[in-house]
Amino acid sequence: MLKYLFAKNEDIPAGSSALFFGFSAIVWFVIGTGLGSFNAAKLAFPDFVTGNEFFAFGHMRQVHVMAVIFGWISLAFAMAMMYITPALGNTKLWSEKLGLWNCMLWNVGLTLALTLLWAGVSSGREYSDFPWPIDLYIAFCIFIPLGVNVWMTVINRRTQGIYTTNWFFAAATFLVIIVFLVGNAPEFFHLTGLTEAYLTWWFAHNVLGLWITPVAAAIAYYTIPKITGNPLYSHRIGHLHFWSIVVFYSTPAAHHLMSAPLPEWLKSFASVEGVLILVPAIAFVSNILLTMQGKWHMFVENLETRFTITGILMAIPLNMQGGFQQTRAINWYVHATGWMVAHAHLALLGFSTFLEVAAVYFGMQTILKRKLYSLALGNIHFWLLLIGFTTYWVSMTIAGLIQGAGKIYEVPYIDVVIVEHPYMIARWLGGTMVFTGNVLWLYNMWMTAREGTVIPEGRMAHELAYER
Amino acid sequence: MAMKFDRPLYSLSSKAENDNAKALWEAESLGGMTEDNNRTPVPVVLLVILTVITAFLMTFPLWGQRPTAAIYAEYVKSMNSPEIMAMTDDTAAMAKIVQMNLGKQQPSKWNYDGLRERHPVTMDDMRMIKRQIEALMAKGVDLEDYTVVGNKVVFANFEGNFRADGTRERKQPWWDKGYTIDIFYLTAFFLGVTIVVKCLPSYKWQPKHNHDHSYESDHHL
Repeated sequence: MLKYLFAKNEDIPAGSSALFFGFSAIVWFVIGTGLGSFNAAKLAFPDFVTGNEFFAFGHMRQVHVMAVIFGWISLAFAMAMMYITPALGNTKLWSEKLGLWNCMLWNVGLTLALTLLWAGVSSGREYSDFPWPIDLYIAFCIFIPLGVNVWMTVINRRTQGIYTTNWFFAAATFLVIIVFLVGNAPEFFHLTGLTEAYLTWWFAHNVLGLWITPVAAAIAYYTIPKITGNPLYSHRIGHLHFWSIVVFYSTPAAHHLMSAPLPEWLKSFASVEGVLILVPAIAFVSNILLTMQGKWHMFVENLETRFTITGILMAIPLNMQGGFQQTRAINWYVHATGWMVAHAHLALLGFSTFLEVAAVYFGMQTILKRKLYSLALGNIHFWLLLIGFTTYWVSMTIAGLIQGAGKIYEVPYIDVVIVEHPYMIARWLGGTMVFTGNVLWLYNMWMTAREGTVIPEGRMAHELAYER
Repeated sequence: MAMKFDRPLYSLSSKAENDNAKALWEAESLGGMTEDNNRTPVPVVLLVILTVITAFLMTFPLWGQRPTAAIYAEYVKSMNSPEIMAMTDDTAAMAKIVQMNLGKQQPSKWNYDGLRERHPVTMDDMRMIKRQIEALMAKGVDLEDYTVVGNKVVFANFEGNFRADGTRERKQPWWDKGYTIDIFYLTAFFLGVTIVVKCLPSYKWQPKHNHDHSYESDHHL
């Protein structure tokens, strides 16, 4: 792959940058979930690896979070954009070379950023933990080149219309740049106090709401109609989904700070908008599930469809939680408990990861023109992810409710810690299953590239899944 | 593109524009993808309406708005009364203060009984915030601008601009913090989306997907 970095753009095979992004994403997924499993082990067994500050929970927790968000999830998004955007415009990617450089700079920058975080060089702001020079690097060397490639591909399309997925891709790449530059303003301009708190959560909320959620949804708008062969149920619902994401997801930052002394009007406004994130969720879920009409057998038979639909079904509890847990009536109880940790994993490891995994499976096979090396390993990957995630989510949700009760009824903290112990073990087991599944996935995709059965011209990988 | 309002519920586009859109919709291949033109199903519309209603009911400030310094101002005054100062039992003294101020007309036209009930305090709590509230009262500021956070009284709740005579231009009642702006915001959104969707050909028309688009998306790979 590296040999193409200095080749002429026209000499680089189509799909090269998507492959580079795809394999990078899987490697970061293995690293990110491996760190997660390690961190969970430290919570379950407090004597596990002590005596070295680099392996202290406080050093490693944010490395796990950032590796997963900016390694796995964002790189998988970039992979999807690199092959879906041109496909939907009946054209080639605007610049494979820019894509390859983008991916190389992404991997180098992220490695440096996570090393700094691991060493304790941090802004101290949750979700925007990177120090400000890294924030600028991410904006100018990662997201802007990615956006340029997507926008230019859309501009140079050979269609008159733009399919729904590409609305989301083009808008989300623009919005994430704004989110990075504005959301990190407290570091650039040394803003403190409530302004810093507000912008920290404006950033954190919008990385989820204007980057992860819309791009994951955009992927489903591609994979489900593409694999099932059904038309997207409704172009009109697509409009409702797109605009409600932009309008309702961009405004509820203050609902992360319901107990802070922010103006009450701002919190009420944010809280109403927070419940209204159910509008895009309803639009998205209904549109995709209705697109499945007549093809529900593929939910069982087809790996990519199973991953995608499972992710979409997870969007239902995700948005029910997200919409209501931020209201004053519920927030006082679940705030700062394991409930939130469970919810964050439902968003990132449940909903969005399942959609991205499908896109990477589908894209890799399409670009490599090779059938998946082992469908059995693919199925094992699915079940390890699903059972592992569910174990994690259920255990942390229960743990969070116990912590909430302990907080409200002023139970001594150490008593709550003792009661939490079995749930911490369940969390570690669930996380480790996810990690194990991802190691198998990396092996499966590597072998697909090397030894997967070649797909004949004019056929698609999933059509041949059960053929030898 | 000029909008036509002769049949607004059918389509806001002219017949020629709709015919062009229909022809393009059926002929064009977006990487082998096709889309239908189904309307948003009625249950989904009802669910969206239910969500909007729930959003307002669920976030009503009754449920946990932070206490302002104003709701404790009368408590502070009561603490200085000889009757309370003579009491040695803090619990009884606090109960007496609460009882003395029940149903009392407030300087603001809003009755604070409900808010006080939701934010009960002890004598120790009151001792920590008493001097801060007295200092603010001496300055003559609007105590509803200030929020009680633990043992601190902080400026956190800007209630609106002042006129030259010192009165407020407009002050939101306690039950309307942020809701009017939300109503405007929602109205603009739903109006905007309705216009966008109504510019499409009517949902009564469905495209025919006769043209095989299946493999066109991969031709460049």
